[in-house]
Amino acid sequence: MSALTDLTLRAALQGLRQGAFSSCDLTEACLERIERLDGTLHAFLTLTPELARQQAQAADQQYAAWRQDPSRGLPPLLGVPLAVKDVFCVSGVRTTCGSHILENFVPPYSATPVERLLEAGMVMLGKTNTDEFAMGSSTENSAYGATRNPWQPERVPGGSSGGSAACVAARMAPAALGSDTGGSVRQPASFCGICGIKPTYGRVSRYGLVAYGSSLDCPGAFARSVEDVALLFERMAGFDRRDATCVDVPLPEIHLPSEGESSPLRGVRVGVPQEYFIQGIQPAVEQAVRQAIAEMERLGASVEAVALPHTAYALPVYYLIAPAEASANLARYDGVRFGPRQPADTLWEMFRRTRGVGFGAEVKRRIMLGTYALSAGYYDAYYGQAQKVRTLIKQDFECAFEKVDVIAAPVAPSTAFRFGEHSEDPLAMYLEDVFTLPANLAGVPGLAFPVGFDAQGLPIGIQLMAAHYREDILFRVGHAYQLATEWHLQPPPLYV
Amino acid sequence: MTDYEAVIGLETHIQLNTLTKIFCACKADSWNAAPNTNICPVCSGLPGVLPVLNEKAVEKAMLLAAAMHAQIQSLSFFDRKNYFYPDLPKGYQISMYEAPLATGGYLDLPLPQNEARRVRIAKLHLEEDAGKTKNAGGKRLIDFNRCGVPLVEMVTSPDLRSAEEAAQYLTRLRQLLRWLGVSEADMEKGHLRCDANVSIRPRGAAYLNPKTEIKNVNSIDAVREAVQKEIERQAREMEAGHTIESWTLEWDEDSGKLKKMRSKETEADYRYFHEPDLLPLHISEEWKKSILTALPELPLERRQRFVTQYGLPEYDADILTAERSLSDYYEQTVKAYGGDPKKVSNWLMNDVLRMLNEKGMTADQLRLLPAHLAEIIRLIDEGVINNATGKSLLEKVQASGETPAAIVAREGLAKVSDDAAIRSICQEVIAENPAEVENYRNGKATLMGWFVGQVMRKMRGKADPNLARAILEELLAQ
Repeated sequence: MSALTDLTLRAALQGLRQGAFSSCDLTEACLERIERLDGTLHAFLTLTPELARQQAQAADQQYAAWRQDPSRGLPPLLGVPLAVKDVFCVSGVRTTCGSHILENFVPPYSATPVERLLEAGMVMLGKTNTDEFAMGSSTENSAYGATRNPWQPERVPGGSSGGSAACVAARMAPAALGSDTGGSVRQPASFCGICGIKPTYGRVSRYGLVAYGSSLDCPGAFARSVEDVALLFERMAGFDRRDATCVDVPLPEIHLPSEGESSPLRGVRVGVPQEYFIQGIQPAVEQAVRQAIAEMERLGASVEAVALPHTAYALPVYYLIAPAEASANLARYDGVRFGPRQPADTLWEMFRRTRGVGFGAEVKRRIMLGTYALSAGYYDAYYGQAQKVRTLIKQDFECAFEKVDVIAAPVAPSTAFRFGEHSEDPLAMYLEDVFTLPANLAGVPGLAFPVGFDAQGLPIGIQLMAAHYREDILFRVGHAYQLATEWHLQPPPLYV
Repeated sequence: MTDYEAVIGLETHIQLNTLTKIFCACKADSWNAAPNTNICPVCSGLPGVLPVLNEKAVEKAMLLAAAMHAQIQSLSFFDRKNYFYPDLPKGYQISMYEAPLATGGYLDLPLPQNEARRVRIAKLHLEEDAGKTKNAGGKRLIDFNRCGVPLVEMVTSPDLRSAEEAAQYLTRLRQLLRWLGVSEADMEKGHLRCDANVSIRPRGAAYLNPKTEIKNVNSIDAVREAVQKEIERQAREMEAGHTIESWTLEWDEDSGKLKKMRSKETEADYRYFHEPDLLPLHISEEWKKSILTALPELPLERRQRFVTQYGLPEYDADILTAERSLSDYYEQTVKAYGGDPKKVSNWLMNDVLRMLNEKGMTADQLRLLPAHLAEIIRLIDEGVINNATGKSLLEKVQASGETPAAIVAREGLAKVSDDAAIRSICQEVIAENPAEVENYRNGKATLMGWFVGQVMRKMRGKADPNLARAILEELLAQ
């Protein structure tokens, strides 16, 4: 029998309902595995074992009561462990955002997606590592040290949600929350060989997600199958009056194809954008993605080329808009209430020193970029112009989705890179996000899942994008693919 | 000496009297609250929380904009105004910048001799207030209670021409704000705050000289005094051949002096950009219509109408329209009474206003209703009661809520006009006061008033004094 920690979310739920094991068993198995692996991987910044055990016990009591009286009903995800990226506030639990400036911040409220998953019965294991304030593509920018990739420990797990992706890939948790501002769920999912959803902007409330780029930030989720990700998404999504940008658009019913269904993708039109198969892309990545598209065609989908002509501008546009918003969002960390306040003779000197000590290099770089882009005399050329081009990128997608249902593309130009490989060259690091940024700028949903391995045995991911509020079609295509393939079932060859 | 005229613009911040703050559910009013007791994660800017717009604040700002004849925009945006200060917990203030709630607008300020000064509005938008800091015991203390209180920032063009006009503008603005019910407009409590920009130039010139900005003026009188002193200072400087520098000045209430706070350096760069946490503010025609149906006749319009419709002197019209409920009370009384509107005005200005001041009430809180007052005036007109009885009825109606007629009937306050009854009392008075009768008959005619008074006293004020006088004259002549 496989270990409890190998179970997908759906399999775990099934086992819990059948009474094959308890939530306490499952939770202890996860905690044990974290204990064993996390010294090396460093996926977690804060563990909450007491909270997890309490919630697991409560879940087991609910299962017991339900067995006595099945009419009581059960919360949909009862008793399944969850890891939470440390940019989501969880009431009473330290929330650092991977930054020294928030090293002692304990929020008195929980983020809406966290609250909803806990209400659905999930068990909170702890807070996972992230690039500082979600700024990065490798977790190397975490003030508390990087997370290692479970496939090869000398490589990055991707980022910024690298801790969440690594912990799900390493079977320390069946599910985790992440956030995606420019690819921070999809890219680490791809690097770690798991599945991740970045929902439509406005579909999942940002309340309690510590802001980086407010017009781009999306709460997202990781799991080891598309089906699991869909289960998480359904619970997280929906209107929240605490977030003015969260929309009240009803969730479409998610119809996943069932096993043995012939041509499950009949009628689905898959678009392939030439702009995403550019020079410099790792050949193995292109090959795996194209094979996956061929598989979708075999499953009944039609495939055609689509044009997203403004793709090349996504990178500069993103690196103006996100830092501009960040420069304001991070202004509150000034030493008055947050951060290790540095003594100084004047108020302004205190601000400067505290921020100088409290923030890491990448955060400072983006604050400066953003401040510059918004400054008088530069606003029109930078921030203002970026907003206009953002509209063009959005229109690219609107046009494309008149022709096709999903767009298929690589998640990142390469598989997981080595520590330090890009950290001396910010521009090379920024290029890691080149394929994921457009979905954030356009606000459309994106789903990443594994479609193969390169010669080094590193996972390769594909991303599917769909029109606003059409996460359902992403899950349908992804699940059909996973019914027909086994990439997502490969565990990392753990060295411990 | 050159004849100078002042050029003054006022920047006002108006605290809207909504129940809750502009972006969270905290109470908007923290008067008397201990520091940092009326705050929540949203208004104190904790990480991860988001603002949600209070539509009531928008609606009150819409009413004000309409009353200022400004154009309410169908699409406006909130912006982040970025600057560091310890009382600004997010490091930015949510305000409006290039697409404000309303544009244009003016207030016609009545001047003596039936003239008016049109004061144009250069800026009108919604924003959130910041907190407060103070120094105490070598520490800097912060109170976030005021963070997120809804404000309208309203800035005039440099259209005011004297300290008195500046004071007049604020008086009229305060009257309007209370009239509309959008702000308590109490300057001492900071509900209405004002900075004044002042420059001078030779009378009739069209150019603008460098201006100074006066901050920290907390009453209308202080604005008048501070602006006047600054005008005089600038005139002295110019006469001495100096140029005026763009200083920021602070008014010291205690010493009655202006102090230089700082030289105005280059314009701060607030790096405004649209607030991504809030949606663009769409104001539909229906929404606007539903709010503006509540827009009442404005005080200056009503003041003018009272002059033309009721023939009131400007003085009366001004006092009666100082406050909306008083002016409503006046009109209702005039309507219920049906007689001379000036007579009603006299009753209000002499008696009802005194009563309101003594009781600290507004007209709409009185138990003495307009219909009651009209009835009292009518009873006097009809000779049923005399004037003094009428005045005493005001307090009695206010105390009991009974109608004047009922009180008159129960207490027997109606004037006695029965000749026989008065005559017998007059005879009594004459019989009881032989010495005074003697003096009167010897030519001391002024004693007649005393005799009338004695009769009135014996009849507890109910006698018709004119009848009593006639009877007394007749009896004493014998």
